[in-house]
Amino acid sequence: MKTGVYFCKCGTNIADKIDAVKIRESLLRQDPGIHFSTVDFMCSEEGKEAVAKDLAENRVERVVISACSPRDHETTFMRVLSKAGLNPYLMQMVNVREQIAWVTEDSGRATDKADRYIRAAVRRVQLHDALQKKEIDICPDVLVIGAGPAGLKAALSIAGSGRKVVLVEKSPVIGGLPVRFEELFPTMECGPCMLEPLLGDVLHGEYAENIELLTMAEVTGVVGSYGNFAAKISQRPRFVDMQVCIGCAECIEPCPVSAKNTFNSGMNDRKAISFPFAGALPNAPFVDEKLCIALQGGECRKCREACPVEGAIIFDDSAKVFERNIGAIIVAVGSDLYDCTKLPQLGYGKLDNIHTSMEFERIMASNGPTDGEIRTTAGNAPASVAIIHCVGSLDPKHKEYCSGVCCQYAFKFNHLIEKKLPGTRVCHFYKELVIPGKDEFGLYHQARSNPQATFVRYDDIQNLSVAGGAEGTIIQYQDNSGKSGSVKADMVILCPAVVPAEDSGRLGTVLEAGQDRAGFFEELHGRLDSAQSKIRGVFLAGTCQSPMDIQKAMNQGMAASGYILSGLVAGRKLEIQPVNAEVDARRCSGCRVCVAVCPYTAISFDPEKKVAVVNDVLCQGCGTCVAACPSAAIKGNHYTNAEILAEIEEVLK
Amino acid sequence: MTADKTVRGDTAFEPKIIGFLCNWCSYAGADKAGTAQSPYPPNVNVIRVMCSGRIDPQFVMKAFEQGADGVIILACHPGDCHYKEGNYRAAQRYRLLLQLLEPFGIERERCRFDFVSAGEGDKFVQVITEMVETVRALGPLIIPA
Ligand SMILES: Cc1cc2nc3c(=O)[nH]c(=O)nc-3n(C[C@H](O)[C@H](O)[C@H](O)COP(=O)(O)OP(=O)(O)OC[C@H]3O[C@@H](n4cnc5c(N)ncnc54)[C@H](O)[C@@H]3O)c2cc1C
Repeated sequence: MKTGVYFCKCGTNIADKIDAVKIRESLLRQDPGIHFSTVDFMCSEEGKEAVAKDLAENRVERVVISACSPRDHETTFMRVLSKAGLNPYLMQMVNVREQIAWVTEDSGRATDKADRYIRAAVRRVQLHDALQKKEIDICPDVLVIGAGPAGLKAALSIAGSGRKVVLVEKSPVIGGLPVRFEELFPTMECGPCMLEPLLGDVLHGEYAENIELLTMAEVTGVVGSYGNFAAKISQRPRFVDMQVCIGCAECIEPCPVSAKNTFNSGMNDRKAISFPFAGALPNAPFVDEKLCIALQGGECRKCREACPVEGAIIFDDSAKVFERNIGAIIVAVGSDLYDCTKLPQLGYGKLDNIHTSMEFERIMASNGPTDGEIRTTAGNAPASVAIIHCVGSLDPKHKEYCSGVCCQYAFKFNHLIEKKLPGTRVCHFYKELVIPGKDEFGLYHQARSNPQATFVRYDDIQNLSVAGGAEGTIIQYQDNSGKSGSVKADMVILCPAVVPAEDSGRLGTVLEAGQDRAGFFEELHGRLDSAQSKIRGVFLAGTCQSPMDIQKAMNQGMAASGYILSGLVAGRKLEIQPVNAEVDARRCSGCRVCVAVCPYTAISFDPEKKVAVVNDVLCQGCGTCVAACPSAAIKGNHYTNAEILAEIEEVLK
Repeated sequence: MTADKTVRGDTAFEPKIIGFLCNWCSYAGADKAGTAQSPYPPNVNVIRVMCSGRIDPQFVMKAFEQGADGVIILACHPGDCHYKEGNYRAAQRYRLLLQLLEPFGIERERCRFDFVSAGEGDKFVQVITEMVETVRALGPLIIPA
């Protein structure tokens, strides 16, 4: 097997330390058939061309490149091999520059070390297999889970490229949290108005026909892998046909039953047939099966009698299961707020007029329970409001992280209170203030310059307590300088930590995508790939990955789409790297150790053949299973036992 | 049992050491030391693997058998593994390995496990230098037949 050794001088970088002539002599002593050639700058265009030409002319079959770090130029030289008609895996690179020439003081010892490395590479490369990249057909369509800002943005950009999107939303309404907010920081834009065009595009826009929206639905099963997933989606019955319903709301008034409206945090009532809130899209009500008299077997048909169109209300609607084939999945299920009853001293759930920020958003919303009027339970405008920041945040006893959005919406609240109820006193209790960004300071400065606003910084939320009494609600505090005091507040707003959505763990299990310590969906890499999960083909967008504002959620929706649009192209096959694990079924004892150690759930057990099977698409080639297999039945391609052992043996000679 | 007392601590003795480095962190850390041109003793011969999880205890045993006086395994820091958890597997296997070494009369100090990140060129230099000194002090490894 003719082996060519190409020695890059890298100008003087390598040549000054390592004696190429000595290396050549030593190699030829080992094997006179070795073809040795030096190149000045191998990575230059001339260098690459010279090597390609030399490979062809000398009919070289195996190649050793002695140059810089393979982390720099392994792929460069693999391409040179391909160009010369050689299989690119029949090459071994020796890192003579970074790991010998630049770090070894004595030139003799550097040359000796390079000689051993190159000899080991020559031995190793003889054992290399001509690995082939595999290609598989893919489905370019995408499943988006969650129709909040992140999911909507992703769905639209993918649909706009002509692909099909299945958009699955758990609730009867799309738009996520911000459609419930009257105004948005940092610029006090109206939430529903800002999202309206996006929602309109999803429902009726140019590419709407590419989007299959399934509301009141959840993903219950996923099989397959990147390029070829099959998802099972279960949809609860709405009892209203969205195609027929004209959204006139005639059905609501006659309905004789009501219950707490969860979309308004239970602060008002809704009927058994209702819209989550005025203006909710899709513009069709839904029926709460548990409340509806007809659905509970009673005689009532009042809503149907009031409905001006035939067939809009369907009492015999039933749960449906959909199966869809897709190539990639975007998780955009958003988040929840920390349960404030876990800080009992704040009185939430026990005292009147203590609200979470989410509840207060609904109080301020014109389509909310009080039509946008800020009122206490007694029906009066509050003369004083306390806003407690950092509830459960930056706190080792609760959540150790900062949610990053609370300060900003707290100053948004300050602004709205000032606007709606001029002269109202607002007291901010905070642990830290966080207001990064080029626009975000505006509301903060406004709050700071409001003569009615005061700020109290505390060290530990344990030093705050809220008590009710004849005089109203009193907040006792000790500030960060140790000074104690008390403030009367007619209304208290708590800004709780943003936490993972309640069933994201269950969805994580369905998708096999892991959660981080805090329970958010775990990204592949915090800086490089935060819109990608560790499962290939499962992408993350919005607050399901980490607390963030709408801008970032939208950006992440676009980022997730970007990965898919560039990685999964209709008509183009998906390339599978051959540096992966391969099970020899004859040697496999079926012990399943490999299944347990694989970090990518790429190995499964075939119960019929009783052997382990590696999924090439999921395998990332780490080789953990190879080292774990007690029967040596798994081959780690390009890092085989034989290759590594030969390298060890030769380098020690 | 292992080292010949007469050469122990002999400065003329240049130990041969095998270093198993994972591609993403420790190998990158070694490259970093290279770009910084920080010198260190050339005694460690690097075998690059994609993940420290690939390091089979038999590689280590083979290295000792073939004449290595020491073996060093360098992995990503906990939580940093490019392949999620390969470094934990490597750490587990290292603990088992130490038990394997004893019956052969190979001192624990001859086999070291440590974490080096892609940015820790200085730490790489320090760890390698320490390892070479440790093994030099132990003297050549002689495995009784
Ligand atoms: C009180 C408050 C005020 C805020 N004010 C502002 C502001 O003024 N400006 C700003 O920029 N940001 C604000 N934010 C932050 C903003 O709400 C988030 O950035 C934004 O909602 C994130 O969008 P998302 O798409 O990731 O998640 P969400 O908006 O939470 O949407 C997630 C969607 O997924 C659905 N879903 C959940 N689970 C499932 C499931 N299993 N299957 C299918 N669907 C599911 C949900 O029903 C929802 O429709 C505020 C946050 C809070 C809490």
